[in-house]
Formats: sequence, C-alpha cells, structure tokens
Amino acid sequence: MTAARFEVVSGGGDGARRGVLTLERTGARVETPAFMGYTRHGLHPHLVPDVAAEVGGLPAVTRVQAEDFLGGGRWLGGGGGVRALAGLAAGGVVVLDVLDPTVAGRAGRAGAKAMAIEAAGGTVRLGPGDFAALAAALQPDVVVPPADYVAEALPSLERGKRIEKSVERSARWLDEYLAQARHPAAVLAPVMGAHSAALRERSARALGARRGLLGYAFNDGGLALPLERRLDLARQSLAHLDGGGLRYMAGAAAPDAALRAVLAGMDLVDSSYAYAVTEQGFASTYALACDSPAARLDLWHESMRADFRPLAAGCACFACARHHRAYIHHLLATREMLATVLLQAHNLHVYARFFADVRRSLAAGTLPADAARFAAHYGPDAFDELRLLAAQQATATPTTKVQRRRHTSGPGDIRDHPPSKTTAPTAEPKPKSSATTTTSAGGGGDSRSGGD
Amino acid sequence: MSASSSSSSSEFAGLGAPLEASASPALKFEVLARCSTTKARASRMHLPHYTAHTPMFMPVGTMGSIKGITTTQLEALDCHVILGNTYHLGSQPGPELLEAAGGLHRFMAWNRGLLTDSGGFQMVSLLKLAKITEDGVEFENPYDGRAMMLTPEMSIGVQNAIGADIMMQLDDVVSSLTTGPRVEEAMWRSVRWLDRSIKAHRRPTEQNLFPIVQGGLDPRLRTLSAQELVKRDAPGYAIGGLSGGEAKGSFWRMVTLSTDILPTNKPRYCMGVGYAEDLVVCSALGVDMYDCVFPTRTARFGNALVRTGSLSLRQGRFRDDARPIDPDCPCSTCKTYSRAYLHTTVAKETTGCHLVTVHNIAFQMRLMRDIRAAIVADRFPQFVRGFMQTRFGRTVPRWIVEALRSVGIDLTVPDEAGYSATPIEDDCQKAPAT
Repeated sequence: MTAARFEVVSGGGDGARRGVLTLERTGARVETPAFMGYTRHGLHPHLVPDVAAEVGGLPAVTRVQAEDFLGGGRWLGGGGGVRALAGLAAGGVVVLDVLDPTVAGRAGRAGAKAMAIEAAGGTVRLGPGDFAALAAALQPDVVVPPADYVAEALPSLERGKRIEKSVERSARWLDEYLAQARHPAAVLAPVMGAHSAALRERSARALGARRGLLGYAFNDGGLALPLERRLDLARQSLAHLDGGGLRYMAGAAAPDAALRAVLAGMDLVDSSYAYAVTEQGFASTYALACDSPAARLDLWHESMRADFRPLAAGCACFACARHHRAYIHHLLATREMLATVLLQAHNLHVYARFFADVRRSLAAGTLPADAARFAAHYGPDAFDELRLLAAQQATATPTTKVQRRRHTSGPGDIRDHPPSKTTAPTAEPKPKSSATTTTSAGGGGDSRSGGD
Repeated sequence: MSASSSSSSSEFAGLGAPLEASASPALKFEVLARCSTTKARASRMHLPHYTAHTPMFMPVGTMGSIKGITTTQLEALDCHVILGNTYHLGSQPGPELLEAAGGLHRFMAWNRGLLTDSGGFQMVSLLKLAKITEDGVEFENPYDGRAMMLTPEMSIGVQNAIGADIMMQLDDVVSSLTTGPRVEEAMWRSVRWLDRSIKAHRRPTEQNLFPIVQGGLDPRLRTLSAQELVKRDAPGYAIGGLSGGEAKGSFWRMVTLSTDILPTNKPRYCMGVGYAEDLVVCSALGVDMYDCVFPTRTARFGNALVRTGSLSLRQGRFRDDARPIDPDCPCSTCKTYSRAYLHTTVAKETTGCHLVTVHNIAFQMRLMRDIRAAIVADRFPQFVRGFMQTRFGRTVPRWIVEALRSVGIDLTVPDEAGYSATPIEDDCQKAPAT
C-alpha cells in the first residue's frame, strides 16, 4: 500500500541529499529538500485558497494535523477527505501528522493505549484505532501515526523507564495502526528513543527492519533539546534506518535550522516558520545568497510609517507587487486583519524561494559553504520567531491557540479600536441602541457607515 | 485569483442610449433602464476611478481595508465602490501621510471607486462629549482630553487628502429619534455647512461632494432640506439621518419623500442601509447607492447571509451540515466549503472568518446584480415578489407591504403564481433561516 514513493537522487548517508517524493495517484512530484505547507484546519494561516494561490512556488505537499479534526463526528465524512473539506488542491500530497508543530506542550501524559492531546475543551485520547478512523475520513496520502512522545523533564526521565516505555508503546501503536488502517496511506514512522543512545538504537533497528514504510518522522521535540543535540541523536538513529526512507523533522523549520537539518540528511520540514514570522508582524528579508543585511523587517516599527518601499527590495510576491511598508504598518497599527494576510503571503513566498535556492545550491555542491555563510551573515538570533511564538502561546491558556501580538501599543496608539488579544472574535458586540435590536437577525445594526 | 470565483456586472450589455443623464466635472450619471411600475432605475455612474453600476452596495473599509480581504479579491467579488471613514483615516495614518502616498487609492492599492463619509457621524456616535456649535463639532480628544473641533472645512480638507471619488459634506447629525426644534436647527445648519464645504473643496474636478438630506422624521423638514440641496446642483445626493433605530414605517416614508424631490438624473445614496430587504425596498423607492458595515461585521461572528436571512454558523445545528452556505452562490467559499467545516473553523481561525466575509460580500453583490438585471428586463416587480416570498413567506412586515404598495406592488393581492402575503407588525423576520 504505497500511496507515495520516495527516491534519493543524489547524496545520502547522514549528509545532505536530493530526492523526489512522488504521489502515485496523481503523479505529483515534490523535489526535496522541501517544506510541507503548515496549515491550521487545512488552511494556510491567514490565507484563503484564492489568496494562497497567489503565493506561487509552493511545493505540492500540505501538512495537516489530527488535533484540528478531533471530536470527529459526521462532518468529516463528506467522502472527499480533507482535500474536499478544506479546499486543498486535488493533485498535491497531503500528510496527516498528529500535533501542531508551533505549539509546545500539547502532548499530555499518554496511557498504554493512546496519546493524550491537550485540546480546546480538555484532554483528548488518540490511539492507533482512532487515528486509523480519522485517516479513513481525511484520506491523506501520507500519515505520521501516533507515538508516545516524551515530554517530561529530563531528571525524572533518567531515573525511570519512561523512555523505554515510550519506545515499546510507539512500536506497538504502529503495529496496531497498520492492522486497523482502512485507508491506504504511506507511513512516516516516528523515530523514538529520546536522548538515550541505546533506546534510539532499539527503536531505529526495529523500524529499519520493517518493510513498506515511506520513511521516518523525527517528531520528538518534547525534550526541548538544542537543535544540534537533536540532530546528533537523529544521526544515531539514521545509522540503523533504511537510507532510502523519506525523513521529516519537526521543529527545524527556521531557515538556519532547516539548513542544518538538510545537511544532516533531512528531506522535509514544514512552513510553520513563515507563520511564526507573520505573527510577530515581521516580513522576512533573508535569502540564501545573503543579499540583504538583515533577516527580517519589523513592520510595527515607527520607521515604517512613511516608508513607501515594498517589504523586500525586488520581491515579486503578491504583497510586494501591490503594497508598501507604510500600508502594512498602518494595518498592523489599526489591527486590520489584512496585515497578517499580506505578511503571510510574503513570508511564505520568501520561504519557498529560500528552499528553491537550497535545492539549487545542493545540486551545485555548494550547500555546506552557502549554509556556513548564511549562518555567519545573519547571526544566531535572526530566526527566533518560532521560539517567540511558543513563549507567547505558553503564557496564554495552554489549551487554546490564542495568538498573541508581540507588541502592545501604548494608549497613544489606540484609537477607537482597542487591541484585541485574540484575532478570532469571541462575541458579537451588542447593538448600540436598544431600538436597533428590532432590525434583522445577525446583529450589528449600525447606522450609516459607522466604521467596520 | 481564480476566474471561477469571480463574477462581474454585465447586465447592461446591449442597452442603448441613456434615458436621462447628468454630467459634472467628476461624475457622469446615465439612467439606462426604468422599472415601469416602481421608482427603481438601473444606471451607470462614471467616477474618476471606475464606472459603477447602480443600484449598488458599497462595503465599508473603515481603515483602508475591508477586513482581511485583498483588493484583488474585492475586484473579483465585483465591488465597484468601497467606503473609507474620514474620522478613522484622519487619525491613522493621517492626512499628511495619505497625501504623501498619493491618496487612499494608492495607499491601499485600490483602483476602483472610493467614497468617504464626513467624519461627523463618528464624532457623535463614538465620542460622548461632542458639542455642536455653528462653527463645527466640538469634542474632547479621547487621548489627552483636550477640546478639539471638526469643522466642515476640516472635514473637506481631510477628504481632499484621502482623494475619494465621492466625499460627503459634514452634517449636523441628530438621532433619528430626536424630535422638536433641534431637528429643524440641525437641518438648516447642515445646509449652511454644505455651502461652507462647497467653498472649501479644493479638487472639484477630481472629487464629487454629495450633500445630505436631513430633517429627521418630519416630512416638512425633509422636503425643505431636499429642496435647498437641489438648488446647489450637486453631482449626487445622500439621504441621511436614518437607519438609526427609527420605526421602519417612518424610515421608508422619509426615503420615498426624498427620492420624489431629488432630481431623477442624479444618483441618490441612502446611508447606512445594508439588510437585503431594505436594499430591495429602497431600490423600488428609487435609491441607487447603499453602504453598511453589517455584511462584513456579521461575517466575523460566523453569520452567513442567505436570501432567507442569516445562518449563524456557530450554532450546533451546523456541526454535521455538509451543504454549502448557499448552493446557488457562485462565491469561492460556497463552491468549496461545507457549513460543518465553517462551523468549526470560523470560531478558531481568522481564515475561517475571511471565508465567510468573502461569501457575505458576494451575497450583497449578487443581490444588487439581480436587482439591476430585473430592472433592465422590466421584471423588477416580479423579482421583488419572489424575493419577499423567499425571505418572509406569507407574512411580510407591514412597512414593506406599505412601502411596496406605494410604488405599485401589492403583496396582499395574489400574483400569477398565487403568491400573496399578510402584513405583520414585526419589522423583520424572526424565524431562523435554514
């Protein structure tokens, strides 16, 4: 049941490599290294499909997370899967993972039979059978089945048998998922073992001996180890895995991290970085060619107020082709939702261009040198938006995807639009005068062009 | 933008010479078709930036954007003119920056029509301590408490900086529920402020200044106001001071009284109107332009507009509803998404709100296209009856029955299809849409 196949084109071992992921159903090809489109409920954040289509250059692979579709219900069962449900392109690859990569601490304390997901409205259990049912409804091409991701503090891990249990459970859940899978999706198996060399080897050897896997997912970011340490641990696992398998690493989406992951032999990351940049009110300006002084531009900054240049010089994205910094600064300052729409279109465009450059550089054999120059040019703290976002989310209610703004304006900036903590409104304001309640259903009985 | 999600106005294709017209330096108005029963008409309005088709609805983009929607999407949605709010834009980004940017069109990258209000309404509705003097509106700056003043000249100054195709005069706004001598005072003051506005207008060949008919709910004052304004020979006229919570029975009478006096060869704009039944009735009364925050605002709270009313998508009854919002709607949201999907996403994702906003704008634009097409085909009375049947069934609010009867459509008498309705006292439909 190979819905998709992966071929390594050049390179290999635990160094950078080029490959092609092919979707059997449609023949869609994704050249790797690449990123999967990070989505929320199947949508690029902020971008309705008509606007996302303007971004251009996006790889034909979209990542959706099971946690957005919990609660199940008949509504998932329209027959067309998540493609029809969320309006995804019919031809592209859809990958179903379990957790949102931008939110830390979502994996709760797993039981023997199921993951625990801290979702809005409480803890939800997701076992291999539940996941198989969800996959049957969502019809992805590729799945990353549930695993017992370790997220406890390190000291307690070193004493007990927590990691061993996690490796055993994950292997068992993979078997159970495969036995119950009703929808033929290719599998990226989670590679487990946390920071234990012996247990990593045990997990990798068992996975390496399996037939029919599309590849592997390095998804266990719960220990919050530095990337270099995670890549070292991944290398230990790779020695025992099938070298022909596709490798996805979560938590390596930032450009500097993605370069290191690619050089360590990873094939896929996800575009959650572009979203994190947008949430800070930044526009990406980095490029592998290092032709910009800084990696990003802060559109909140007062200096943007009367700056009529595009977000990035020479950028051909939807936002830069039409709009200037001053307008986007104005939209941010007035809490207009179009700000994040335009920033996301730009940031995704820059991210896609970066990966195209990475693939070209890899083909030309210059990637190690380009990556070293890139790291030196932009410095170590230029790509910390995912960390910022996670920290902001950690201070919010842990069970909701509240989007916090980095900047809170002083009273001088607040006109009659008070800053809102959430971008998704939660309640409709009452009509101003009681008399307006006699107008049609749906509220907002404003007189005249009262401001919207 | 995929062409499949776009719709455009082609209902005037093949029509001959205008029935009547008016021309001023920055606006040419051509009435192309008249309903042979009601006062409805379908017209072309040539503005400096776009040729709009009326009757039309104008979405409100207060701060220089329609919530979360790109200007490319707005074009694909067939929006001809959108609104900006002078009070908001005057605060942020401010007239100097807008002038440096080359006006609001260029600032927001919108190449079609723009209309700005005077800012006076926000003075009164948003600021508690507004005081009206002959000079202007005196108010307390909400940030530092200092006394400030908005005069007709200042309003026009900011609107000239914004550069919209149509500007509105600053008027002395009183609530439509106010009675007594204050209403007459405000009406006459608005006329005087109009004259000051005309004098202050620096760009008469590039921008149009619309006066506003006032006079509360008093027929005598409305008549006087309209007659005074007509003497100023403006490119178009607005009907103001309504949609403020007055009884609908008074509302429509003031509208029809105004359209009876205003010149037939110039556009009439009824401010603050956006509910579907109001758009249909006012079009029958001879109104050409409308604006309201309602369709875009209500979208963000998960309410999707349909011909039968509004679907509150957050309600549990939509959890498993696999149907689109409206199977007949050509918008990209209806072609792609189920009510069940929107039920889940609208509460959690801004993108979900955007999807409903797209639909609601498409709904308004399609309704206006249908109104125009019906007028062109001289089937507008049939359209109105069909619309009311869909929306209300056999019990229709009395104000609608009476308003339509005044222009020759009697809903209480059965038509060829056997449809007739009984008036009810409610001003709107109470039953939830399905």
